[in-house]
This record gives sequence, C-alpha cells and structure tokens, in this order.
Amino acid sequence: MDKEKTKKADTDGSTEAKPTAEVKTSAKKAPAKTGAKIPVKKAPAKSAAEGDVKNAPAKTGGKAPVKKAPAKKAPAEADESASKLVISSSPHFQTTENIPRIMYTVVTALIPAMAVSVYLFGLRVLMLMAVCVVVCLVSEYAMQKARKKSVRVHDGSAAITGILLALMLPPGFPIYGAVLGSLFSIVIGKMLFGGLGYNIFNPALIGRAFLQATYPVLITTWVDPGAVINAVDAISAATPLAMMKFGGEATGLGALFFGNTAGSLGETSAIAILIGGLYLRYKGYINWKLPLGYLGSIAFFAAIFWIYDSSTYASPFFHVMAGGAMLGAWFMVTDMVTTPVTPCGQWIFAIGAGFLTIIIRLFGGLPEGVMYSILFMNAFVPLINRHTKPKVFGELKAKKT
Amino acid sequence: MNKSVKMIINLTVLGALAGIILAFVFKMADPLIQINKEKELKAAIFTVLPEAKDYRTLTKELKDEEVTVYVGLNEKGEPIGVSFKADGNGFQGNVGIMVGLGLDYLKLKGIEVLDQVETPGLGDRIREQGFKSQFKGVEVHPKIEYIKFRKPEKPNQIQAITGATISSNAVVVNINTAVKKVTELFTERELRDAASLPGGKE
Amino acid sequence: MADSVEKAQLPEEETQSLSYELVKGLWQDIAPFRLVLGLCPALAVTNSLLNGLSMGLATLFVLVASCTAVSIVRKLIAPQVRIAAYVVIIATIVTVTDLFLQAMTPGISKALGPYVPLIITNCIILGRLEAFSQKNPVLPSIMDSLGTGIGFTFGLVAMGFVREILGFGSIFGFTILGDWFTPWIVMILPAGAFLLMGGLIALVNYISHKQSSQGEEA
Repeated sequence: MDKEKTKKADTDGSTEAKPTAEVKTSAKKAPAKTGAKIPVKKAPAKSAAEGDVKNAPAKTGGKAPVKKAPAKKAPAEADESASKLVISSSPHFQTTENIPRIMYTVVTALIPAMAVSVYLFGLRVLMLMAVCVVVCLVSEYAMQKARKKSVRVHDGSAAITGILLALMLPPGFPIYGAVLGSLFSIVIGKMLFGGLGYNIFNPALIGRAFLQATYPVLITTWVDPGAVINAVDAISAATPLAMMKFGGEATGLGALFFGNTAGSLGETSAIAILIGGLYLRYKGYINWKLPLGYLGSIAFFAAIFWIYDSSTYASPFFHVMAGGAMLGAWFMVTDMVTTPVTPCGQWIFAIGAGFLTIIIRLFGGLPEGVMYSILFMNAFVPLINRHTKPKVFGELKAKKT
Repeated sequence: MNKSVKMIINLTVLGALAGIILAFVFKMADPLIQINKEKELKAAIFTVLPEAKDYRTLTKELKDEEVTVYVGLNEKGEPIGVSFKADGNGFQGNVGIMVGLGLDYLKLKGIEVLDQVETPGLGDRIREQGFKSQFKGVEVHPKIEYIKFRKPEKPNQIQAITGATISSNAVVVNINTAVKKVTELFTERELRDAASLPGGKE
Repeated sequence: MADSVEKAQLPEEETQSLSYELVKGLWQDIAPFRLVLGLCPALAVTNSLLNGLSMGLATLFVLVASCTAVSIVRKLIAPQVRIAAYVVIIATIVTVTDLFLQAMTPGISKALGPYVPLIITNCIILGRLEAFSQKNPVLPSIMDSLGTGIGFTFGLVAMGFVREILGFGSIFGFTILGDWFTPWIVMILPAGAFLLMGGLIALVNYISHKQSSQGEEA
C-alpha cells in the first residue's frame, strides 16, 4: 500500500513540474488520484492554474501564496525541478526565498521566546529544547530514508516543530516525555501524511495533544519562574488560566506581559513572542490577517462575556495574553501548511479558532483551549479553502439550464 | 405448506424455545446474581461505616424517585450511622459514591467511590485512599467545600486533587446533594428505630 | 482439530476445506484487522488484557453457538423470516452468556458493562450466519465460526495486551514495567484505542502485503 502511494505521488509530482501546458491536465487529475494532497507550488501559483481553478482542488490551487512561494522550488520536487524550465504567464516574481530561508527566519523569530524561557526557568529548558529539536530532526531523517524519499531535513521545518513543541511544555517536563512527543509529532503528525506540505494538522500541536492525553499529570504540573527546577521536588504552581478558571483569581497584566508567571516554557511572556511575531511580519512571512483575526476574535468574544459579567469572566486583555494565545497566534495559526490560503478563508479560520479558544477556556473542562481550537480548525482547512476560492477575473456564474 | 403458515410456525417455535431456555437460565442465575449484588453493597456499607457489622434498609418515596438508606449496626445491634448512595455527573460520566454519615447528621464517617469513569491517572485519583480518607470526620454543615493548593483550614473543607478539580468537585457536590436529601427526608428517630427492624436476607 | 476431522469421517475434499474454514479466520480474514468488523468491542473494552480476553471468549462462544444452531435449523427456517429468526437465536445465546457472567464472574461482568449485551449487534456474528452457516452443514459451520471467533479473540487480546502494558505497565493486573515507566494514559483512553487499531491494521496489511508479493516472486 505504502509503496504504491509513494509512487503515485512521485509521478504526479514530476508532472507538476513540467511546463504549464501539461500542468493543466495534471491539475485535473490530481484530485482524483491523491485527494488534493499535492502541494503545487508553481511560481506564481494563481496565474498558472488560472484555467483550472474550477477543477483544481482549492488546496492545490494556491497552496503557496505568491509572496511566500519559493520561486522555483516546490518542496515535493525541489531537487528535480531546479533544472527544469518553468513556463507561466505573468506576473513573474524574482525572489531568493526558499523553504530553508523561511524556516530559519522563523527560528530566529522564536529566539526571544526561547531566551526568556531560559531566563525564567533555568538552564534545564535548554536541554528540553535541544532534545525536542534533535529527536524531530533525527526522526524526520529516518522516516524520509525509510520511505525512500529524498532527504530534506535541512529545510528546518522539523527544527521548528521541535522548538514549538518544547515551548509548549511545562518547564519540569521529563526528557523521555519530550522524546515521545517529538517522535509522535514528526512520525504520526507529519511523515505519515507525506511530509512537509501534506500534513493536515500542525505537527507540534499534534505532539502536544498526544502528550496531553498520555501524561495528563506531568503536562499540567507547573512551577513558578525562578523556582529550582528539579522534577522530583518542584513546588507545583497554577497557571494564570487555571487560577482564573478554578479559583477566580486574575493574574496581573504586567506579569502576563513580561512572563513572570507559571506556565509552559515559551508561553508565559507575551512581549517576547510579540517581538518574534512582529519580526516575522516585518520580513513578510506571515499574513497579518491570521494573528490579528485570532487575537481579535479572542478579545472580542472574551469582551462579550466580560461586559456581561465582569466579576466571573476575565478581561479580554487577560485572555489575549494568558496561556498559549500569543504563541498560537504568531507561530501556529500562521503555519503555512495547515491554514487556509484564501484571504476570506484565513479570516474564517482565525476567527473560528479564537471563538473556540474562548468557549473551551470558559466552559470546557480544561483551562486552556488554544491547542484544541487550532487543531480543530486545521481539520476544516480543506473545506474552508474549497468554499472561499476567489473568483477568477471575468468569471461568470454558470447558468443552470 | 403455505409460506406464511411456515413463517408463523418458525417464529413461534423459536420464540417459545428461546423463552423456555431464558426462563430456565434466569432461574438458575438470578439467586447468584442477587448474592453478588448483596455482597458488593455490604462491602461498600462496611467500608464507609467501619464499626458496622450488620445493616438495615430503609426506603422512602421522594416525588418520583426512591431514596434508600442503609442503617449500620454494630455487633450489639445498636445503630451507629447511616449510609447511602450519592450519584451525579463527574468529568466524563456518573460518579457514584457510597457515603457514611453519623446519625447526628454532623460528620461523615467515610466515603467509597463505587462507579466512576474519570480520566485514568487524573480524575480517577478520587479513588485513592489519600483523597477518600479526607472525608472521614468532615462536617457536613453548612456544606462540604473543597479548596486548592492549600491544606484545609475549616472542619468542613477538604483539599481537591491538583489538576482534577472537576472530579474533586463532583465528589463534593454529589455528597452534599445526597446528604441534603437524606437529612431532609429521614429523621434521626426513624433511623434509630430502623435498628429494631428484622434483618435483611442473609 | 485433526481429531474432529477424523471423527467426522468426511471425504477427502471436504476435509481440506474444513481446515481451510478454520484457518482462514485466523489470519487471512482476521475479523478486527482484515475484515474491519466488530470494531465496537475491539475499541471499547480492550483497555486491559483480561477485558479483551473475556470479551473475545464471550463473543467466540456466542458465535460458535449461534452458527451451530442456525446451521442445524437452516433448512427449517423460511427464508423470508431468517434474519428475524437469527436475531432471536443470537439474542437468546447472548442473554444466557450475560447472565452466566453476572452470576459467576461479577467483576468481569462489571468491567465489560453494556458490551456483553451488545454482542447481539456484532456484525461478525450476523455476517457469518448469513454468509456461511445458513448454506453449510454443521461441521464446516463450527469450523468457520471457531476460526473467525479465535481470530477475533486474538485481535482483542493483541489490543488489550498493548494497551494494558503501555497504559498501566502491567499484564493481567501484575505490574511488569517498574516505577521507571510512566504509563501512557492515552492508551487506556478511546483515543489510544483508535491509534492502536490504526497501527495494527497497518501492520497486518504490511505483513500480508509482503507475504503476497513474496508469493508472486516465488
């Protein structure tokens, strides 16, 4: 089974790289064969597929927004297509962007959050991050070897998964748990779907969700910043969200902003994440609609409840800065692979995830809802893409006869 | 033979046969099943009322439901406490608790978790001895409360399980509801009189 | 098995098919993984080895008994009402099993909960009745149902084994993995059942795929 699929994907992939005349036919074939899992990242994606917008599945149609698209390389056939001639209609963009560059910029953007977590929780978190990253890289390499695909570990996407996963773990989380989570992220969450560009769910969040179900006690054992981290006798503390939910105590906004609270490694400090996120925005790698829509809808729905009863429900500022909302908004909602490509779809995705986050936080069993809300919306991305396809210029609605 | 007649005979014979077999098996199995249930109940009552050696059953109607309490007796046949079931929703489903209460309706004598489907390793720690034993001697007036992250300060408080607040809360709420129901429905007098009732089937 | 075949004194060709009927359910058509039937109990009650084993055995008993019964009366039943008749037969046997478990092993009965009565709706049973027992004599029917039932039990035991050892660190309630092992709670939860089921289906498919491709080469 596996082998066959791989072969199919490969043949499809190589047709994609051929000149546009043939791209048309392959785009038509694609949905039937592999169910829209081929990320066609032709240079100016829109124009190339123009004639086929109706037939091509939404995901294929515009997987890579023009700006971010690696000019000549699609991830699935980076090696083969480099030497091939790509013919497409205008506009043409000349750019040096490619996947490794994007990925390493994201890593750079995560540095402030990592640095703050080391400052707050001590050197142990460095080891946690290193373990996550190394296990992610090694398992991705192993899976690519095992499936006889070209090895592209160096593109850095696995490293980001590792870092993000580590940033979502509590400081005292055991190393073996981090290893297990990283393995699950890459092997089940990413490689079994076909690797970068094929995965439906955000791999880091999949790993975190698996750990949440596997070690429910360990993953909710938090410590206050500055406490000596020793997995054996750390004094357990409550996160701001847990204190809010179960104790009705709101943490000060200052502490939330600078990160002086108990929580996951990289989620405590809003300012550090914000710096990274704005840097990414400055580089043009993320679309402002996604983080803005997500944080905005969190704030909006939180505000509704806050205005209704401000003694029971926390303020919108609290909800935006507490827990994983910031990290989720800047680094997970903006994931290029697992979020919609159309502007309208991005709004739907971001607002839907924000709404779910608030619903889970206020009425669910868990204090935090960022992870499940994003995973839940990830599942709807193909559907959202399909229904928010932009109209091709000059397109008329087919009249029913 | 006519088709429909055959069909009717088929099903009638099958149904009758099935009925006979089931009646026979049920007659054999039912006493054993009753004994099993009895054993289970007895074990639960004697856990929550440690001094009890025997018990009597009292039942009263409250609106549509039947409320049953079990009055525990010591070896001299004196009533030493009352126990009853407290059911209610937990995190994932019903949390059924057997509650042992002093006859003066002031303090709990113990609790036992009978049914629960809480998250293993987290919510199902309500079954742990450390959690259950907190309820021994807890005052039920005005109601039992749980607190988090600290040791209980008042005689009507217990400490919730960290990370399993909902399950801990469910236990407390179920007990409070059941205690309220029982204390309103049965007078102490009635419970003491129950001691002279004839014993249950052994 | 050879014994029963000899005793039956069947002609040569039937003897071969008898063993085939038994063996096919053990691997080639193993119920939870190849036929992907009977998933409800396979997912719901396999959180420990004992539960999986007892559920498998209960289903095995019901399967063999109802296949035998249907095979005996297959010529008497009017085809128009056969499904109704099968359901009556299955329901009777299931109820007997349920009462037996409640009376003799209350612990297991409590752990299996509503899933013993739910054996009635297990599609493996109605499937084997409809596909095999109603057309075949008693002995092949017994063989067929025995094979399918053992295969199903094996599937549940495999699920229960993995889930118990990872979820509790124990086998049949005895701790195997020591304190160093933190149980994977997810394996006792429904999510773990689905994960494992997917993994095992993939494994079985992978192995049989390999077998068949080797067979072609040879």
